[in-house]
Amino acid sequence: MSVAHRTLSTRAANWLLLALLAVYIVYNLGPIFWLVISSMKSRMDLFSMPPKIFFTPDWGGYQSVFGVGVGANSAAAIGVFDSLLNSVLIATVGTAAAVVLGTLAGYVTSRYDFRGKNDFMFFVLSTRMLPPVAVLVFYHIMYAELGLTDTRIGLILIAVFINVGLATWIMKGFFDGVPREVEQIALINGYSRLYAFRKLVLPMVGGGIAATAGFCFIFSWNEFAFASILSTTQAKTLPVKISAASGATGIEWTQICAAGVVLIIPVLIFFYLIRKHLLMGMTFGVLGRR
Amino acid sequence: MAAISTSTAPAARRKPATNRLLIFGFLSPTLALLLFMVAFPIFSLINYSFYNFSVLRAASGRKWAGFGNYEYLLTDIDLWNRFVFTGKFVLITVALQFLVGIFVALRLEKNFRGRDVLFTLLMMPMMLSPIVVGFLWRYMFNSEWGVVNYLVSVAGFDKLDWLGQTNNALAAVVIADTWMWTPFIILLATAAFRGIPRTIYEAAEVDGAGAAFRFFRLTLPLAAPVLFIALLLRLIDSFKQYDLFFALTGGGPGSSTETVSFALAKTAFSYFYTGEASALAVVLLLIITGLSLILVRHLTRLSARY
Amino acid sequence: MAEIALRNLSVEFGAFRAVDDVDLTVADGEFVVYLGPSGCGKTTTLRCIAGLEHATGGDILFDGRRVNGLSASERNIAMVFQFVSLYPHLTVKNNILFPLQARGVARAEMARKLDWVVGVFGIGDILGRYPASLPPGARQKVALARAVIRDPAVLLLDEPLSAIDEQFREEMRWELGHLQRELGVTTIYVTHDQREAMSLADRIVLMRDGRIVQVADPDGLFIDPVDVFAGHFIGSPSMNFIELAPVAGGLRLADGPVVLTPADGVPAWAIESRRPLKLGIRPSFVHLAEADGPGAHAIPIEDLFAVGRERFFTFRLGGAIHQGVEAIGRAPAGAARGVRFDPKGFLFFDAESGRRVKPEAAA
Repeated sequence: MSVAHRTLSTRAANWLLLALLAVYIVYNLGPIFWLVISSMKSRMDLFSMPPKIFFTPDWGGYQSVFGVGVGANSAAAIGVFDSLLNSVLIATVGTAAAVVLGTLAGYVTSRYDFRGKNDFMFFVLSTRMLPPVAVLVFYHIMYAELGLTDTRIGLILIAVFINVGLATWIMKGFFDGVPREVEQIALINGYSRLYAFRKLVLPMVGGGIAATAGFCFIFSWNEFAFASILSTTQAKTLPVKISAASGATGIEWTQICAAGVVLIIPVLIFFYLIRKHLLMGMTFGVLGRR
Repeated sequence: MAAISTSTAPAARRKPATNRLLIFGFLSPTLALLLFMVAFPIFSLINYSFYNFSVLRAASGRKWAGFGNYEYLLTDIDLWNRFVFTGKFVLITVALQFLVGIFVALRLEKNFRGRDVLFTLLMMPMMLSPIVVGFLWRYMFNSEWGVVNYLVSVAGFDKLDWLGQTNNALAAVVIADTWMWTPFIILLATAAFRGIPRTIYEAAEVDGAGAAFRFFRLTLPLAAPVLFIALLLRLIDSFKQYDLFFALTGGGPGSSTETVSFALAKTAFSYFYTGEASALAVVLLLIITGLSLILVRHLTRLSARY
Repeated sequence: MAEIALRNLSVEFGAFRAVDDVDLTVADGEFVVYLGPSGCGKTTTLRCIAGLEHATGGDILFDGRRVNGLSASERNIAMVFQFVSLYPHLTVKNNILFPLQARGVARAEMARKLDWVVGVFGIGDILGRYPASLPPGARQKVALARAVIRDPAVLLLDEPLSAIDEQFREEMRWELGHLQRELGVTTIYVTHDQREAMSLADRIVLMRDGRIVQVADPDGLFIDPVDVFAGHFIGSPSMNFIELAPVAGGLRLADGPVVLTPADGVPAWAIESRRPLKLGIRPSFVHLAEADGPGAHAIPIEDLFAVGRERFFTFRLGGAIHQGVEAIGRAPAGAARGVRFDPKGFLFFDAESGRRVKPEAAA
C-alpha cells in the first residue's frame, strides 16, 4: 500500500471514477430490481405512469408459472417441479462433465506441444460457433435415430457439447498461468506427473475451475433451443416448461418476469455454493510460460 | 563486474510413452464427444446446403441445387445488409462490454467492505435467461410506459421511440446485450488482474511509474492473453445472438434489426427453407471461423512471448 | 546520494507494533545492514523508507527533508526485492530501461545509461532474454542494474540474495560490496543472515521485535555485544553462555566442579559482583589443552570433529553442551586433554536481564 501524495487532481479523479462505478452499479442492478418488482405487479400496475415502486403485490405471474390459482391444474404444477429437477440434473451433470473434460484438455494443451495441437484447439472452439437454429433440425433427426429424444442423457450430452469448448479454452488460460517449475520440482523429487497434477497444479487453478463451472452452469441452465426441440415430456427442462405454461394471449409480462426470477434462483444458489472458490485464488498467474 | 553464466539448460523436449498416454487420455474424451456430437449435424448441414429441401415437405424429397442456394444468398442485397448490421452490432457491443468490464474490474481491485458480495451481485445479469432479458428490456424500453423513457423525461429530455426506429432499436439491443454480458468480462478480467503479483506494481512505483503508465505498460500486457480469450468468446457468442433480438425487437422495425442469425432462424423455422438455411449457416460459419482464425493466431503470438 | 534519518519511527498494523520507536541516521554513501530474525521489523522499516509502507508515527528524513508524505515514486529511491520483481513480459533490456521510460528520459540519454550499466554488470549478452529464462543470480543482477541505472539517492535491498544458490551467493556478495563502493550510493540492506551482514556492512543495525538492539560496525558487534541476544546472534558458531555462581575466590561454572579464578583471567569485579552473572565466550576463545597444562580445566570432552580447516570440539558443563574451536595442529595428540578458556574472550552478562555488564556498572 503506497503512501499516495494527495493532490487536488488525484482526489477529483478518484471521485469521478467512483461516480462512474456507481453509475455502472445502478445500470447493472437497476433492471434486476425492476425485474423483481415487475414480477409482482398486477396488470394495471405494470403499465402505470409514472412507474410504481410501491404497490400491493399481485402474485398472478408466479401463479401461472407454477400452474396454480385460476384454472389450477395440479398436473401442471407437478410438471413444473419435475422439469425443475430435470434442469438441475442436466445442468449439474453437464457442468461437471464439461468442466472435467475441459480441465483435462486444457491442462494437456497448456503443458505439451504436439502435432495438431492448434488444430485441436481451434476445432474445440469452433463447436461453439454453431448457431443452434441452424442445426436444430439435424439434431432432431440424429437424436430420433439414436433414441436419445426426450431423454435426460440426451440433454446432458447437449449441455456438455455446448460448453466443453469454452471450458477447455478458459482452463488452458488458467493453466498457462501456473509456472512449469511446480511440476518440475515434483518430478525431480520422484513424483509422477499425475500426482503433481492432482495435488499441486489443480488446487492452484481452483478459482479457474469455479469460474468455468459458473459459466457452464449458466449456459446449460438457460439453454432453450435444443431443450425444446429435443424433449417432449420426460426430459423437459424448466425454461421450456415455463414458456409452455405461458398463454398464447399476447405477451404476459408478469409471467415472464416471474419466470425470470424463478429461473435465476438456482443459478444464484449455485454461485453462492462456489463463491469461496470463485473469489479466492482466482488468478491467471502471469509468471508461467506459454 | 564479471559476467556470470546466464543460461539455463532448456528442458529437453522428450516425449516418453507416459506423456503420450497422458496426452491421449486427457484429450480423447473431449475429442470423441465433440466429434460424436457435431459429425452428423455438420455433415447434414453441408449436405443439405446443396439441396432444395424443406423439412416440412420432407415427403416431396429434395432437388439437387448445387451452389444454387449459395448463389441466391450471396447475391441477396438484403443479406449483405444484414451482415453489415450484424457486424456493427457485434463490434459495438463487444467493444462496450470490454471497456466497461475492464473498468469495473480495475475499480474493484482494491478490497473494501462488501466488495465480494457486490461482485457476486454484479454477476446477475449474466445469469438470466436471454429470452427473459429480451422481454424485460422490451418492457423497460416501451415508449409510453417503459421506465427508461420515464427516467429520460425526468432528466429533462424528450422521450425516445426506442423500438420504432432502427438506430434507436440498435442502441436498445446494444444496451441490453452489454448489460447482460459485461459481467462475463468483469469476471475474467478480475481473474486476470489478480494474477499479477503485487510486487511488480511496487517495483514499478519505485521505478517512478505513474498510474496510467503502470496500467498500459504492465497491467494490460500481462492480462492480454486472458483478455484475448474473453474477446474471442464474446465475439463468437455475439454473432450467434438471437434470443435478444427475437424478444426485444422481433427483427423490427420492419426487418431492419434482423441479424444474420435472425434471418437464419426465419429461413429455417418460418419459411422452412431448410436447404437455404443450411447454406446460410455455412456462410455464417465460414465468416466466424475466418475471423476467429485471425484472432487466435494473434493470441498464440502474444502468449508465446513468455 | 543522501543521508537518511529515522526519528521515533513506528509502524503499527492494528494492535501489532512492527516497528517500535526506531532512531537511526545513515550517513551519505554508507552501507548499512538491518539484521535480525524473521519478524523483527527490518523489512517493514525498509519499506517505510521506500514509501511502500505507511509510518504511523515518527519521521523519515532524506538530507534533512521530511519525506513521510511522498509516495515511493517521488522519493528517488531504488529497490531490489527479495522475490524477483522483474517485469516478465519485457526483455532484460526493457526491464532495465523501464525506470527511465517511466520518467520520460530522452533516447540518447537512455542509450548512454544502458551502455554504462551493461559495462558495470557485464550483462550485454542477455539483453534480449526474458526473465523467466534466466537463473536467479542473473535475475537479481538485472534487478540491480534496473535499480542503479537511475542514479538513485538511496538503494534499498530486501534480502536480495536469499533465493540464490549458496555457491553464487558469495560471489554476488563480493560484487555487491564492490559495486556499492564504486557508486558510493547510500545503501540499506536487509537480511537475516549474519554472515552476509558481517561481510558487507559498514554498520549493522541489529533488530528484534521491532526495536533496535544495537548499532555498530561488524567488529564492534562481534567483540562488544550489548546483550545476550546480540552476542548469540552474531558469530558462527555461536557464543557459549555459561551460568556463573560466585564462590570463594572465583566463579563456579554452571554448578559443576570447575571454578574459574583470577589465575584464569577472571576480573575481580566479576567475582565480587552482587548480581548473578552469565559468562559469554566465543568458541574461538575456548581451546584444548594438555590435561595438566597451565589454565587447563578437567572437563570431559564429548566430541571432536573437523569442518574444513577448523577442528571443533564439544564439552559438557552442567547439562548444556558448549563448543570450542581448535585449529588443526594445535591440539595435543593422544594425551589426556582439558579445556582452557582464553580470558580475552570473557564477556559478562547479567543473568536476569541479559544485558552486558562492564566493570563500571558492576556491584
